[in-house]
Amino acid sequence: MTRKEAVFVVQMLLKRLVGLIVIILAVTFVTFILGYFAPGDPIRTLLGQQFNPTVYALLRHKYGLDQPWYQQYGTFLINLLHFNLGLSFTQTNRPVWDILKEGVPISVELGFWALVIEYLVGIPLGILSAIRADTWADTLNTGMLLIIYTVPTFITCVFVQVLLVWLDQQTGIGWPIAGWGAPWQYDWSDLQYKIAPILILSLGGIAYIARFTRSNLLEVLHQDYIRTARAKGLSERVVIYRHALRNALIPLVTLLGLSLGLLIAGAFFIEFIFNIPGIANITIRSVMAYNYPVIQATAILLAFGVVLGNLLADLLYSLVDPRIKFA
Amino acid sequence: MSTDVTRPAEPDATEQLAPPALSATRESWHLFRRDKRAMISLCLLLFFALVALFGPFIYQHIGAPYQSALNGAVPATLYHNPYHQELEHQDEFISAQYWLGTDDLGRDLLARLMQGILISLTVAIMVELIVLGLGVTVGVLAGYYGGWVDQILARFTDFIFAFPSFLFVILLASIFGPWADTHLKHVPLIGSNGDARLVIVSLALAITGWPLMARYVRGQTLQIKEQLFVEAARVCGTPNTRIIRRHILPNLLNIIVLTATLDLGGIIVGEAGISLLGLGVQPPGSSLGLMIVEGANVIDTHSWEVLLPSLVLTSIVLALSYVGDGVQKAFDPRLKNT
Repeated sequence: MTRKEAVFVVQMLLKRLVGLIVIILAVTFVTFILGYFAPGDPIRTLLGQQFNPTVYALLRHKYGLDQPWYQQYGTFLINLLHFNLGLSFTQTNRPVWDILKEGVPISVELGFWALVIEYLVGIPLGILSAIRADTWADTLNTGMLLIIYTVPTFITCVFVQVLLVWLDQQTGIGWPIAGWGAPWQYDWSDLQYKIAPILILSLGGIAYIARFTRSNLLEVLHQDYIRTARAKGLSERVVIYRHALRNALIPLVTLLGLSLGLLIAGAFFIEFIFNIPGIANITIRSVMAYNYPVIQATAILLAFGVVLGNLLADLLYSLVDPRIKFA
Repeated sequence: MSTDVTRPAEPDATEQLAPPALSATRESWHLFRRDKRAMISLCLLLFFALVALFGPFIYQHIGAPYQSALNGAVPATLYHNPYHQELEHQDEFISAQYWLGTDDLGRDLLARLMQGILISLTVAIMVELIVLGLGVTVGVLAGYYGGWVDQILARFTDFIFAFPSFLFVILLASIFGPWADTHLKHVPLIGSNGDARLVIVSLALAITGWPLMARYVRGQTLQIKEQLFVEAARVCGTPNTRIIRRHILPNLLNIIVLTATLDLGGIIVGEAGISLLGLGVQPPGSSLGLMIVEGANVIDTHSWEVLLPSLVLTSIVLALSYVGDGVQKAFDPRLKNT
């Protein structure tokens, strides 16, 4: 990398960083405003039967709810910079971060394995479809992938659960259909909990990545240099795996950001239906309890994840593809 | 119509200049009709829509009054009503009285299913209307005039794409849901029986959905406005509003039909998902998502109750995707000439 290129990289990074900050600010603002104007009085709900004007005023002050909205938002931002996400509404004095801390490792674990499986299964499926293009194998494959991609995650969850229940009743193996073992532990009893949710979460991504790989590889296979390689008398294997595949796989990196978005949306249903105590489940429970600080925190956390994923994808893209010049 | 030679000449000059061949949209429609899979799917969707619209009126008049130990004589209008609970008939399988069985509160599953499809249909129409209105207007303005409309659209789209859109829908639905419950309860049709939150859900889905439509329309407008016939119109002194109405909009029809069809599946799944999480339709209302989550309670004893709405939703979504596929092949200007 020459000096000039290095300057470009730094410039692009700075530009993207500014964009990232703007988006994060917008997300915090929207979630804050939504929470602020939300109907209902969280402190009154918190106190419930033991309503007492002095305690009420005290708590309102403690949560900063007696300040005007711009001041509240300022405090919220400053606290955010200190990684202080505020206090939970439902459990007095419990920091939001404390609540999130339980869910993060589980959600990350679920997402991580789903992501790994997506790429490990999706790419070979896509290659298979592309090199057998327009044969029965390809038709079957793309047909299946379309179905997998179309059927919503929660429906797949339901079908898998029904299947597991049925298998359980037939064989009596005692396979659990809800819960999550110890995070990042892989004993057989833990695996039983984890296999189904991880596989279901990865399904949409598998279909997407396979379709993407297929169309990319097909496009590359039509290019002149592939014709040259074939004309030289190279074997089909060398042409596909050494010449075509490498170029076809480059754009897959850009899917990383998009996969993250898919994973997050999918995780909401999977954690809800399989009762997995991850971030999404915490969000849904907070939503039911109108616990806005927690909702705000998860919204920011998830948006941050997506934005960071996009940034990472852009960076990787420019790293693996020398043709991309930073503009 | 335009091939009718005996028709007297129109006074409008532009009408006479129109090519005698099939218009692009009619040609696409001809292409679409040849796609068997898409046509079968379309028929299935029409069937579901007709059943949801007219089924309840017919179904409630089938069957003799039934002597209930709890409720006395119950006529078919009541026990085939989606909200009526018949507690001595919980978790029943298909029978002559209950064509698709009952749920764990003894409500008729077919009636609830029809109501659920009706909800999906309503939400899909509401969201599409907003998405079309906003998306096409902003897209055309941004593409044709550029400038600040374009800038705002670009920034807003960036934001919507960065924000996990599903989370946004959840946030809006959860925060304003209780408000809708109390304030829209007495509005006829939309507010009764726990359906009030659908207004919020539809709005939220529309807010996250319109930027994509606007972006496609904008891109197509940019292409069209550079073409010779627009230039010719401009040379003739045609005002901008007329150019947009007569020259840009008709040429956008294909991309609009295409995007709207592809959006439909997402909207229906979105509503079902939100209702499944308990943030959409409230009990005793019915929605496919709500039926799934209610059926999931008895998944290990009466899996039929969760399978039925799941299968229906799956077939709706799959049919929509096949129709979308067919529409894409027939209507996509980029694929047509290849």
